[in-house]
Amino acid sequence: MIIEYIFAFLVAASIITFFIGSHSRQFARVSSLAVAVAFILYSVYRFYPGYNGGDISSFSLTLSTYTGFYFSLGVNGFTDLLVVLGSIIVLAALFISDRKDDPVYYGLVLLTEVGTFGLLMSTDLFFFYVFWEVVLVPVYFLIGIYGGPRKDSVSLKFFVYTHIGSVFILLSIFTLYSYYYSEYGILTMQNSDLLSTTFFSTIPFFYRVFILSGFLIGFLVKLPTFPIHSWLPDSYQEAPYPVTVILAGALSVMGGYGLFGILYPLYPQIPAFFLWLLIALGIISLIYFSLTAMFQSNLKRMMAYASAGSMGFVSIAFGSGILGTGPNGIIDLAGGMFQIFAHGLIVAFLFSLLYYMKTHAGHDTFYGLGGIYRESPVLATLFLGGLLASLGLPGLAGFVAEFSIIAGSYGILGPLVFLVIFSMIITASYHIWAAQKALYGPYNENLGQIRDLSRSEASAMLLMLISILVIGVFPRIVFPLLTGYLGGIA
Amino acid sequence: MISESISTVTGVQSLQYLYPLIVLGIAGFIILGLGLATSSKKAYAGIAFGALAIAAILILLIPQNASFVLSNSFAYSQFGAYFAILFVISSLFIVLPSLKNISAKGDIFYALLLFVTTGMIVAAFTMNLIVLFISFEAVSIGTYVLAAFHKTRRTLEASTKYFFTGVVSTSFIIFGLAFFYQAAGTFELTSALAVVSKPALLIALLFLTIGFGFKVAIFPMHQWAIDTYYGAENSVSAFLSTGSKLVAFMIMLKIFIVGFSTMGEDVFLLFTLLAIFTMTYGNISALSTTNVKKLFAYSSIAQAGYLILVFSITSYALWSGQNYGLIAVNAVAAAMLYSLVYIFMKGGAFVFLNTLDKENPEFSDISGFARKSPALALSLSIILLALAGIPFTGGFTAKFYMFLYLVDAKLWWLAIIAILNSAISVFYYFRVIMYMYWKPDSGVSLSGSRIASATVIVSAIVVVALFFYFPLFSLLHGFAQGLFGVTG
Repeated sequence: MIIEYIFAFLVAASIITFFIGSHSRQFARVSSLAVAVAFILYSVYRFYPGYNGGDISSFSLTLSTYTGFYFSLGVNGFTDLLVVLGSIIVLAALFISDRKDDPVYYGLVLLTEVGTFGLLMSTDLFFFYVFWEVVLVPVYFLIGIYGGPRKDSVSLKFFVYTHIGSVFILLSIFTLYSYYYSEYGILTMQNSDLLSTTFFSTIPFFYRVFILSGFLIGFLVKLPTFPIHSWLPDSYQEAPYPVTVILAGALSVMGGYGLFGILYPLYPQIPAFFLWLLIALGIISLIYFSLTAMFQSNLKRMMAYASAGSMGFVSIAFGSGILGTGPNGIIDLAGGMFQIFAHGLIVAFLFSLLYYMKTHAGHDTFYGLGGIYRESPVLATLFLGGLLASLGLPGLAGFVAEFSIIAGSYGILGPLVFLVIFSMIITASYHIWAAQKALYGPYNENLGQIRDLSRSEASAMLLMLISILVIGVFPRIVFPLLTGYLGGIA
Repeated sequence: MISESISTVTGVQSLQYLYPLIVLGIAGFIILGLGLATSSKKAYAGIAFGALAIAAILILLIPQNASFVLSNSFAYSQFGAYFAILFVISSLFIVLPSLKNISAKGDIFYALLLFVTTGMIVAAFTMNLIVLFISFEAVSIGTYVLAAFHKTRRTLEASTKYFFTGVVSTSFIIFGLAFFYQAAGTFELTSALAVVSKPALLIALLFLTIGFGFKVAIFPMHQWAIDTYYGAENSVSAFLSTGSKLVAFMIMLKIFIVGFSTMGEDVFLLFTLLAIFTMTYGNISALSTTNVKKLFAYSSIAQAGYLILVFSITSYALWSGQNYGLIAVNAVAAAMLYSLVYIFMKGGAFVFLNTLDKENPEFSDISGFARKSPALALSLSIILLALAGIPFTGGFTAKFYMFLYLVDAKLWWLAIIAILNSAISVFYYFRVIMYMYWKPDSGVSLSGSRIASATVIVSAIVVVALFFYFPLFSLLHGFAQGLFGVTG
């Protein structure tokens, strides 16, 4: 009975921000800090004393009994983790935003947070879809108004591309809703009804495939997966840095949440060829995005591809985790969810640092940078930390996820696992290469003097790096929530 | 289906069904008479506004049970009352915004508007084809004149084009009615249950579709619409695209769902083809236009395509012998919701053009508009988001239900076509938003018309409110039974 108040507070704050002019920056920061703190305290309070799965804090508001619409909220171990992640990411994005007196900007950032939380916390498919769609609108405006030189086409591409993906989700929801009525004579949109295996098994096979394909198209566009990814590098590159942080940290969880939060409850009914398709797409994405990232000269674009590549692990984990059985399957699935969380933190951290690099040095391409360690050692060291986390160095968050996925999926993938390892080698090589060219080596004298991070900037960034380290060393902070969530469904 | 018996009202009792019509008619003549004494536009508009408001209240005061009045030429049902209210709203919508551009002969304009509304209400309350035809003609003839107001060469051309195509469509309707009578042996839609001659009924189906399709601007009959919407005065375009289109749509609901209830297969094939072509044509053409008003005109055609999906749903349910009662009533309720939202979306969009100090603005003319008037830019954005079907707007709810019942009737493939069309439409709606928010300023200034601005803002608020008013659909579900209830 707490989350709806926090959510209502966030909605109110986002609307107020539009109207308070020059105080908007301060207000947005304070209110998002309050939301983040509230969520973290709430999770510690509700989830640590032995979480065994299921939704906690259910809230339901009847909207229309005739059509079976309820506005219902609730969190489980997995979504709670993503909500906490999202609130931290938005806080980081607001921290590095330097637009003074621009209420529209801050209001839109908070609206994005509202949309993300809404879709994560909704426990009925109607509002899940509503928030899933609506979160695109503020991001569209953020890229469009504040973006780079190609913002016109890129913002539209972002919206239409992901919108076309999501309308297939809507069709699947309709099909579920319609079949539920013909089966039980009840109109409902609740996740717990529509996403139950007993109901799902009554649907004819063809329409089961139709429903799963619809969901998958929507989720894979968002993830993104290999052939349907082209919106991502463009949007990440054209968006202003704080928005890239939100895109990479908070919105990238949407696809992963779709797989693990929406589709996973149906796992006994997902045909094996779907899972193998997901695994294949995941492996192709990993290799393709790593190779593409290797040939980028722009660090922001390179990190965008790196981010897309590491989401490949998520679909591999989902496919192989369901195919696998016993503890291996659990480790695999939990690893996949852990990857969503770790990836969000790491990529948001990297993009925040890239933002400082861009504003301090004036460049985010390899041609412009070079040896900036000499002038700004703190920035360079932190950035190196981020790169190491991103390539999966043991002791940092990324490693835990990748290790569990590879360990858990080995039984299913067999020799295919070498392809995954191969892509990890490519990933490691271009990360190191990026560090070498941008941070170390001879200093690019054209840059002149570069300001290093100020104390407050450095400590905020250090805090993020420490949290990546802590989660990497003590994954037990996060794992019980994920295994508890899985246990609640199995 | 509804089982409640339909009462027959006779004698003085029938009068209360006519009060709204009487009020509107008398007010129309008062305005005409007043035209001799004064030329104050505000007085005419005031009377028209008041009369329409009173008519709306009088419609609400009619006893709610379905009944036949005046020897069956009048058939009251909640379905009809709902549409009557919609028509009054669509007229109310343009009374005040039209003040800006109607310079001469205001008395004729407002009197005609009231007469047209009278015709619309009659159409709402009848199930007899002859009465439907006469009331439809009253609407058509009135709108021919309305389209010619605001004398420029362009409006004249618009109205001429509208008039000639309209007359052709009328002749199609008359032919269609004749064949319908030959086939069914009656002009009463409710009793057209036994088919005498199937070929004649097929011809009637085709001719009536062509005739009414003109007014709804369905694909091959749409050419007049672009030029007329483009050429007519903005508020008249709003009216043509909302009130006049919805009256034809409502008549189609009556004819093709009740009157052709024996021909599920043919209605399905015809309307599914038309719906696919109409929405695809509207959306594809809108992609390449750079004129805001033309864009609204094309989008109006695309929206007509979504609207007539209702015929695909009901006729397919009939043809395939599914749970016809529930699916058809739900689909009609979805169409009713769509019509309501549509008035505010399209009306607001066209009236928005009155807030600019330029006739027929191109995209470049509205560029940077958000910096001049944030409130108006936000309102238009909400309306465009609604037209594109993005959540937290009534436009989303309307499309949501329409597509939901497509899936419910097991028309998945059609739902995919419709939903992809709706996704394509995002391209052109969002281009307008793009110009308003992040393109450099154009030299075009605001017209400063407060009435037009207020109308746009109110429409945006209503469009959002319609999303949040969830009980509306179950209410409409009850009203929709009126359409079937009268069949007994």
